Amino acid sequence: MAEYYLDCMHEACPIPLLKALKQLSKMEIGDVLIMGTDHNCSIINVVEWVKKQGHAYDYVALGEGEWEIYIEKTR
Amino acid sequence: MIMLPWEKGNGRFTLRKPDSRKGGKPMGKEARDCREKLKSFLQRPWPYWLGGVLLAILNIILLAFAGTSWRITSGFLYWGAFFLEKLGLHPQEWYYFSAYNHGLNPGETLLNNDVSVITLGIIIGALISILLSGQFKLKPLKSKKQALVGLLGGIAMGYSSRISFGCNIGAFFSAIPSFSLHGWVFFFFLFVGAWIGSRLLIKYML
Repeated sequence: MAEYYLDCMHEACPIPLLKALKQLSKMEIGDVLIMGTDHNCSIINVVEWVKKQGHAYDYVALGEGEWEIYIEKTR
Repeated sequence: MIMLPWEKGNGRFTLRKPDSRKGGKPMGKEARDCREKLKSFLQRPWPYWLGGVLLAILNIILLAFAGTSWRITSGFLYWGAFFLEKLGLHPQEWYYFSAYNHGLNPGETLLNNDVSVITLGIIIGALISILLSGQFKLKPLKSKKQALVGLLGGIAMGYSSRISFGCNIGAFFSAIPSFSLHGWVFFFFLFVGAWIGSRLLIKYML
């Protein structure tokens, strides 16, 4: 079970989502992707997309306007 | 160590616990629910239908009181022309302004016109909204590539918004309810542009 970090700081839509899509397609089932973002749309559209795909996810606010999104590839 | 009056013996500023109220009673379930609702109202995005209805109502009010529908980039045109004038150029003599109506009434200035006031209102409103949600953050440029692409994108958007009578607000959002055909042409080519744009994005920006 590997862990990957994706730096999406200071990047606007839809780059974080596209980067996550690309990274997830390269990962094995059970691997975890951690995304760092400061774009408030990302915690909406990335999370919504992940939910639709059926992966496990969670996110935490690291500070004002800064988040980490955790995605576990489940299928 | 200097002690301030509100500091306790351990020298650290002590905050009141969030769940304690005057008289030491814990915060009730109702109050907590209310706080959660307010937080969600300020932080979560509103549904698209609500945004659409609010924008339509505001545009009708604007048309009724100001006599013009909502435009944004015309304001940038005035601001740009203002700075070029200050630099000693004469944009008012350009062919563009003789071929198209610039929409300014006599006596209107850089800030004293409908478009500029609304655009400044949008910027201030957006700032208030992001401050209330507690998500305000200044973002530096990530790389030279991001800066260059941003600059090129800005120039392309500015140029094309002028030859198409506006951005997605002036040439689409306000054009279609005004029964203008150019709004529908814009609508169709918006999809074409978005498709090409997303191809370029995936190829060069990832």
